[in-house]
Amino acid sequence: MAQINMLGVSKRFGDIEVISDTTLEIKDGEFVVFVGPSGCGKSTLLRLLAGLDEITSGEITLNNQRIDHLAPAQRGLAMVFQSYALYPHMTVYQNMSYALKVAKEQKSVIDEKVKKTASILQLSEYLDRKPKELSGGQRQRVAIGRAIVREPKVFLFDEPLSNLDAKLRVQMRIELTKLHKKLKTTMIYVTHDQVEAMTMADKIVVINNGEVEQVGAPLELYRSPANQFVAGFIGSPAMNFFSGTIKDVSANGIHFDLNNSGASIFLKCSDANVSIGESIQFGVRPEHFILAKKTDQIITGEVYAVERLGGETYIYLSSQTDDDIIVHFSGDREIKVGEKIDVGFSIKDCHLFNSKGWAIR
Amino acid sequence: MERSNYQRAKSFRKLKKQLWLLFLLLPPALILITFIFLPMASALWYSVYDWNGLIRGEFVGLENFRKVLLDPERNWFFFNALKNNVLVFVSLMIIQNGTALVIALFLAREPKGARFYQVVFFIPVILSTVIIGFQWKMFLNPVFGLINKILNAIGLHDWALPWLGLPETALPTMILVNAWAWVGFPAIVFLAAIHRIPRDLIEAARLDGGSEWQIAKDIIWPLMAPAVTIIVVLTFIGSFNWFELPYIMAGLEGSPAYSTDMLGLLFYRTAFGSISAGGTEFGVGSALAAIIFIVIFVFSIIATKILVAREVELN
Repeated sequence: MAQINMLGVSKRFGDIEVISDTTLEIKDGEFVVFVGPSGCGKSTLLRLLAGLDEITSGEITLNNQRIDHLAPAQRGLAMVFQSYALYPHMTVYQNMSYALKVAKEQKSVIDEKVKKTASILQLSEYLDRKPKELSGGQRQRVAIGRAIVREPKVFLFDEPLSNLDAKLRVQMRIELTKLHKKLKTTMIYVTHDQVEAMTMADKIVVINNGEVEQVGAPLELYRSPANQFVAGFIGSPAMNFFSGTIKDVSANGIHFDLNNSGASIFLKCSDANVSIGESIQFGVRPEHFILAKKTDQIITGEVYAVERLGGETYIYLSSQTDDDIIVHFSGDREIKVGEKIDVGFSIKDCHLFNSKGWAIR
Repeated sequence: MERSNYQRAKSFRKLKKQLWLLFLLLPPALILITFIFLPMASALWYSVYDWNGLIRGEFVGLENFRKVLLDPERNWFFFNALKNNVLVFVSLMIIQNGTALVIALFLAREPKGARFYQVVFFIPVILSTVIIGFQWKMFLNPVFGLINKILNAIGLHDWALPWLGLPETALPTMILVNAWAWVGFPAIVFLAAIHRIPRDLIEAARLDGGSEWQIAKDIIWPLMAPAVTIIVVLTFIGSFNWFELPYIMAGLEGSPAYSTDMLGLLFYRTAFGSISAGGTEFGVGSALAAIIFIVIFVFSIIATKILVAREVELN
């Protein structure tokens, strides 16, 4: 049982506020991913939880007990670092057993726990090796093993896969998900890679400029982003945005024009807090474009780059709206650079954001 | 024809590169040969001859070495000085380098004013040994010295001793002065070594529950091994070449009663003459210099080999 609550947590380094007034609930057994661009404060938030940095204000509780004043080791959390942070002069066994040795556990207990963990992580044959004699993936597993043997209430992962190559990253992603299912422990995972976030998380926390932008299940964020930042950050390639102007607002929905295109679009919405003449942003995901036939709306563009990967095709267009568009088609499409094509989209797949960037639904 | 032109151009480039390397290496090589290797070789050469003042006498083989090591009338001086040098080394390792380690661990925590403390600890290192020797000789003066005045002022009258005048206290006092003067150097080297250890490792140990002492002992100490190697070897070389400070503070005779005599002082007295040693004995002095060199060389090699074995790459 490990539920974490952050209440109005903020962190300042001198005059710079890197985390501002963050309130967050992480339930027992959840796999929560903090995601955001570099420098957004996600690692700082993790370090505040771990106790490696002190909070400036607010409260952090674990199972309703305040832990923000406790030393890192007393919080019952274990952390896996991006750099692995394995002790280079110790063997795998010594690395994994260090915390237990420091805690003055009995030798037989240490031995049992280390060997059991090594067997789960397929490290049994490497226990006598030093970290430099291991591959990147093996080192990563040792770092995870070092956390597991402590039997922590919560695991903290700080971009643990970013030093691995693409293939190993996919493999470790799956292994970590399996491990979470097996251990059923609360895990908090920091990454800037939204694919990791989407594939591993029960709940994603999107952070930008030290503030939580949205919290939700992966597909909830994908389907209903709360604002333009989340819409642009979740999904790969990123959502296409077009500028527009509100023409009419009624009880059924709103009418707006896409700038420079002559296209006029009606969108049904129940809570359109916008006014006539207001600038808006209209978003369409690359995978929601189709080659135009009988779709709701059409945009014409000239192809300036094509990426054909066999199983999927990415087309880059300069459109009449002066915006560059990325279009994603599944399968191979024989489209040439310089060609003019019409792409369409279905209104139900589109997103609209008001002048402050908040979603209009 | 074209090919041979190409080869000629290639070999010309190679020659140019070699000449450039020669141009860069020749000056330091000449300096090393002239001022290090030639004097060393000549000292060895001189040590196997009998000398009459500065006039070379006949070849005597290892006789001069025998005089230094085995002659019952004079080998006491050699072993007494050797014992003192060893004592200096061991004491400096414990007092000077131990304190330096504590200072480095303290400064590594980046307390307020860390930069200021760094400068304060390092200032004596840049002072001339002559200044340090005279300054402390005055501080330690039994009549008007600052140290005894302070001791008397705080009521420790029994402690107000002629520190440099007693055989029991002279050497320990000079060792403490040396430690005071030099502690900043190992401290800076240790601090640099601690700063090289990735912060993640220390934080991982902190999360593992390590206390400050356990982190220092289990993580920082083993990972600063390269700095320890350098400091051990440099301290040994410094201890066995100890000359200026004892010379300034206690004179050429290692007074009182040879209690501060060092191999360097003994060599100087033997080779160039003194009141106690009498006239110059260039051959015996050269043999002594050769022995000092061999002791330092052998220890440095063995210590480096042993200490390097415990060094680990940080990545």
